[in-house]
Amino acid sequence: MENTNRLRKILTSKEFTLFVTLVAIVLLFGSISPNGAFLKPRNIRSILDSMTIYTLFAVGGALVIISGNIDLSPSYVGAACGVLLAKLLNDGVPWYLVVPICLLMGAAFGVLNAVLINEFKIQSFIATLTTGTFIAKGLVYLIPDGVTYQIKDPVVVWYSTGKIFGFVPITMIISIAIIVIFGIVLAKTRFGRSVYLIGGNANAARLAGLKPKKLSYIIFACSGALGALAGMLYAGRLKSGSLVGTVDYGFPAVTAVILGGVSLGGGTGNMLGCFLGLLIINGFNNGLLVMGVKPYWQDVASGVLLLVALTIDYFSTRERKIRTTLSSKGGMGQ
Amino acid sequence: MVEHSLEFCNIVKSFPGVNALKGVSFHAEGGRVCALMGENGAGKSTLLKILSGDIRPDEGCLKINGEEQHFSSPHQSIRASVSVIYQERQLVPSLNVMENIFLEDMPAGRLGFVNVGELRRKTHEIIDLFGLPIEPTDTVGWLSVAYQQMVEIMKAYRRDSNIIAFDEPTAPLTDKEIEILFKLIRKLKEKGKVIIYVSHRMAEIFQISDDIVVLKDGSLVKTLLTENTHEGELVKAMVGRDIGDTYANLKRNDKIGDVLLEVNNLVTYDVKDVSFKLHKGEVLGFAGLIGSGRTELMRAIFGADPILSGEIKIEGRPVRFRSPSEAVENGIALCPEDRKEQGLVLKRSIFENVSIPVLKKVRKGLFLNRKTEFDLAKSAVKRYSIKTPSVEKRVMELSGGNQQKVILGRWTSEKMATKILILDEPTKGIDVGTKAEVYQMVCDFARQGIGVIFISSELTEVLNVSDVIMVMHNGRISGSVTREEATEELVLQLAMKD
Repeated sequence: MENTNRLRKILTSKEFTLFVTLVAIVLLFGSISPNGAFLKPRNIRSILDSMTIYTLFAVGGALVIISGNIDLSPSYVGAACGVLLAKLLNDGVPWYLVVPICLLMGAAFGVLNAVLINEFKIQSFIATLTTGTFIAKGLVYLIPDGVTYQIKDPVVVWYSTGKIFGFVPITMIISIAIIVIFGIVLAKTRFGRSVYLIGGNANAARLAGLKPKKLSYIIFACSGALGALAGMLYAGRLKSGSLVGTVDYGFPAVTAVILGGVSLGGGTGNMLGCFLGLLIINGFNNGLLVMGVKPYWQDVASGVLLLVALTIDYFSTRERKIRTTLSSKGGMGQ
Repeated sequence: MVEHSLEFCNIVKSFPGVNALKGVSFHAEGGRVCALMGENGAGKSTLLKILSGDIRPDEGCLKINGEEQHFSSPHQSIRASVSVIYQERQLVPSLNVMENIFLEDMPAGRLGFVNVGELRRKTHEIIDLFGLPIEPTDTVGWLSVAYQQMVEIMKAYRRDSNIIAFDEPTAPLTDKEIEILFKLIRKLKEKGKVIIYVSHRMAEIFQISDDIVVLKDGSLVKTLLTENTHEGELVKAMVGRDIGDTYANLKRNDKIGDVLLEVNNLVTYDVKDVSFKLHKGEVLGFAGLIGSGRTELMRAIFGADPILSGEIKIEGRPVRFRSPSEAVENGIALCPEDRKEQGLVLKRSIFENVSIPVLKKVRKGLFLNRKTEFDLAKSAVKRYSIKTPSVEKRVMELSGGNQQKVILGRWTSEKMATKILILDEPTKGIDVGTKAEVYQMVCDFARQGIGVIFISSELTEVLNVSDVIMVMHNGRISGSVTREEATEELVLQLAMKD
């Protein structure tokens, strides 16, 4: 009895649907790609490798969205931290100081977002769009002042481009470790539970004894720091502080998060879903690439993929909503 | 002059668990003001919503000027020349006064554009008629609540509706503004319009109405001519009913202990100079009309709203909570009035809702211990017989009564040490059977030595469940009575005293 229930729960879960979609994509491209190129180990690695930067943004994005807000700034913050990394290393600051400084700057952006949202009551969409596209993006140009700095620091270059056993990139390990750690934090700790509760209903959570404001500071700081980490890894891979940097990584990451079942309304979703969402989008894009489809079609395709996911989500939650309002509607007091 | 008339014919309406209206019939004539009176929950608002086409009656119909009407939308009601002015304003806050007044009916100019000059001129005419210091171009959202109310009334006036209903129109108004409103109502009366007037304020009813219809528990109990009646008779008509055995069978606590909570001269934005004491094992009722400041008082004590001055002591120790989490740590629990918006995280499961205040205590090392959490929730499910197949069920899938029990389960779990339990309208929207269960729970909490604050707008329950009843009016405590000496007449008079 217990077992059949558990089985049914797994089969009806969002994660299972995502998993089936992923398997379908793998089978599709595996069978139609020339010489089965899609399933070659090198290509699988390439899919996972292309996910690295997206994963870091997705983890932060999911954290914020589950808590009932949205953060659009990390990709710009990442770009700013990338050039800051290159500039400071060039100025001769040792890597073990530069890395924490960049992470701190990312966290500081998160705190700034939290201040705007909590103290000045600005909607998170507007607040983070402003700090991202104006302040952080401005810094991308201001910090290097027109110069593209090369990154030559051996430690930074090692962790950004090195491979364990000559095959597994270190950055991939970092990003997978991050998503696993945050997955456990969300699912198992008091902090993680609080994120779900304030995302589900901040008012009720506060009246039940949680501190939504304090939590939102921590959540945004995490999102900013993860953005900084992504930006540093990106710059390290390029071995230079690019003026474009991770700017274009933000929206696809949020797309993967939403595809992965994190509802924009807050309070639901998990890291396993996000990871599957990332695999689906990157696998799909890679499949198109292997098939020789023009790269710009990839954007169109991910857009369509997201729309399909949102539509399915809409219909499944709507059906649930109708059922619940029918069963739990109380009387009208007067 | 055309005489208009409105007739309610045997209106029946029920909501799940509640019979809101049980066959109400009465007649309102044009050129007279018909006051609708009754306690909270008597069915007045439901009746108005039927008049405005917001909801459809299960049985019965309306007759306007003798013609049967079956409204299925507010639009149809407006077309039949009905305007209902609710307590909650139906304005578009981002638009200005003239746009709101002429919302569905903008004077068109050439090419279909709005004729702004005409719009402004017409609006000015109406404003002048009312003698109000506002401009047609003022944005409605920036006006005070009182002026917003006036804009709403001007809108009804502009439509030239033949039937105009007011739902507690004076609640946000000052005396001077009430004067203006009454002058206007008399003007509408002279024009032969049908006026329905809902209010809790006795003095006003006698000032403005011609007829009084008294509702009670969804039935019409009496129709009175204002000139032939007096306050005493009216209150009696509103209250008179038989009280079931529910209350006689309650197992109460008879050992009331020391002072647990003492509040002295508390002042907040909504509460003026409130003092009271709550003892161990006592059920302290708070009666009063909606908006009398009871909820606001409790939120302030709980640390949810700011306190301007005053003193709060728990077991003799002065406290001042800066956030609800501090209050919770000190053994205070609040079940808010609006349980869906403020009480529960509907999207999450029962066990997650139960363990919120004790998350620190259900950990094993760094991680939450799911088994402990499940046990807490299962024990709450068992204790309050919450109907659910599993504690992993999301709270939104439970009925109102069961949702309320989840909140009670949260505050009385084995890991909590609740000393003071504040229940704000715990029986709102709950069916009769569950209500009786809730009353017994309240008494059980008291028997365990918890000090219970029981806020309710239903007089009967607050009078019969509480040991002592505090009555609030306009942010102040207007009196307190013990259960033995309390009568509904007495409490209602304290609650409505002008």
